[in-house]
Amino acid sequence: MSAPSTGAMPERPSGSLVRKVAWHWRHDEKRELWIGWWTLVVFYNLYGLLFFVVTRTQPPPQPSLDPAGIVRWFDDRHHGLIYGYAIVFIVGGATAIMNATLAYSMRRMSVSRAFAYAYLVIYALATLPGMLLMGIACTVGAMRPDRDPELLSWLYDFAFLSFEGTMGVFLVGSLVWMAAVLLDRNRVFPKWFGYLNLCNALTEVVVAPAWIFKSGAFAWDGTIAWWTNMGVFVTYTAVFLTLLRRMILREDFGTGPLPDLPREGAPQASGSMEATR
Amino acid sequence: MTTAARDTAGRSRFVPGQPDMWAFVLFESLVFTVYFTVYLVHRSQDLDLYRQSQTHLDLHIGVFNTLVLLVSSGSMARCVQAARECAYRTALTNAIWTLLFGFVFFVSKVFEWTTEIERGFTFSTNEFFQFYYFLTAIHFLHLLIGFVVLAVGVRELRSPARRSQETIETCATYWHTIDYLWVLIFALLYVVR
Repeated sequence: MSAPSTGAMPERPSGSLVRKVAWHWRHDEKRELWIGWWTLVVFYNLYGLLFFVVTRTQPPPQPSLDPAGIVRWFDDRHHGLIYGYAIVFIVGGATAIMNATLAYSMRRMSVSRAFAYAYLVIYALATLPGMLLMGIACTVGAMRPDRDPELLSWLYDFAFLSFEGTMGVFLVGSLVWMAAVLLDRNRVFPKWFGYLNLCNALTEVVVAPAWIFKSGAFAWDGTIAWWTNMGVFVTYTAVFLTLLRRMILREDFGTGPLPDLPREGAPQASGSMEATR
Repeated sequence: MTTAARDTAGRSRFVPGQPDMWAFVLFESLVFTVYFTVYLVHRSQDLDLYRQSQTHLDLHIGVFNTLVLLVSSGSMARCVQAARECAYRTALTNAIWTLLFGFVFFVSKVFEWTTEIERGFTFSTNEFFQFYYFLTAIHFLHLLIGFVVLAVGVRELRSPARRSQETIETCATYWHTIDYLWVLIFALLYVVR
């Protein structure tokens, strides 16, 4: 997981950002971890942009639209859906790097490796309903605007029900991470993050009624089924990105408890890619 | 100062049990505040429907459930107090009483749901019953997790090698959260007219 050893590490250069990045690329022993972390940050932001701005599929539209309204919905977003999801399909593989970084946190814990493996499998599976099925259905609808409105309505329901209604995989993933954090003795994450995983898992449950209702708080665009769930998920994501960053800063590539970060003002042992930010 | 004394002094400055569990309580309180606010907003938009639907709930079962959970919280508090005094047998007895009262709530809630469904009031009957089943079911999920938490507490109390006061207080904090959330749900669904 570390960069090749080059004997005595040359001093980190001051000056341009390019030189600093080049130094970290060649000498930082946490290089791969930082690449994984930055992939998480970049792609969560990119996905936010693609889903909310380019394709305009989030926040989700009304489930109760009639076939004529659904045809208009696809027509209004024709180019956004095609180009937006094209980018999603091209960069979608980055989820493997993202999931690997999250699973690494569990590998660093004192718990069984089964937790990390279970998490990897669950989130690899979650990519299908959470991103790809919706993208495929929306792209097909956008590329075949001349088809029967009833067929487009089927695609519309399929897209949003697969995205909103299949939160069970995320629920179990959160519970796996929760159990790992609470059982861990290496202090990789604080225990409150384990409990936050439980909160996140419990708000995944509230999405289930989206299969039943076409309007109101429990529909797929409802205040509880979507807005509350999304609010908790965004908070949860911001928290785990922050904690992962701290974990990488604390990482000593040992097998025991992670050391605490040095207090501000205390001398640092070596530079890291973090210093370039 | 010994480690135990430092732990006690440290705890007395903050909160009972793990402070991390209090973060959970805070976050869950925020999430439930959102649920309650959404319920009240929807209720204000169709007051007649909600008032009329509320009359189909059995207030007696609601009161019974509330009393059962309050009593369970009382026995949990006695469990913590006994554990603090190193009276572990009493603490264990009270923890088991808490579990039993929790189980009574479990049975009572399933009975209430069954009765309502048999009378034709299901999740999709109207907007009030959507909220009724949603709020009581999400609380019920917390109760099921509470059984796991209590089992951890009982396990701690049964073995002299474990008996972490912090863990027992953390379990109690979770159980009291179930109680306090239920009191709010009971007030909103059954009492507020």
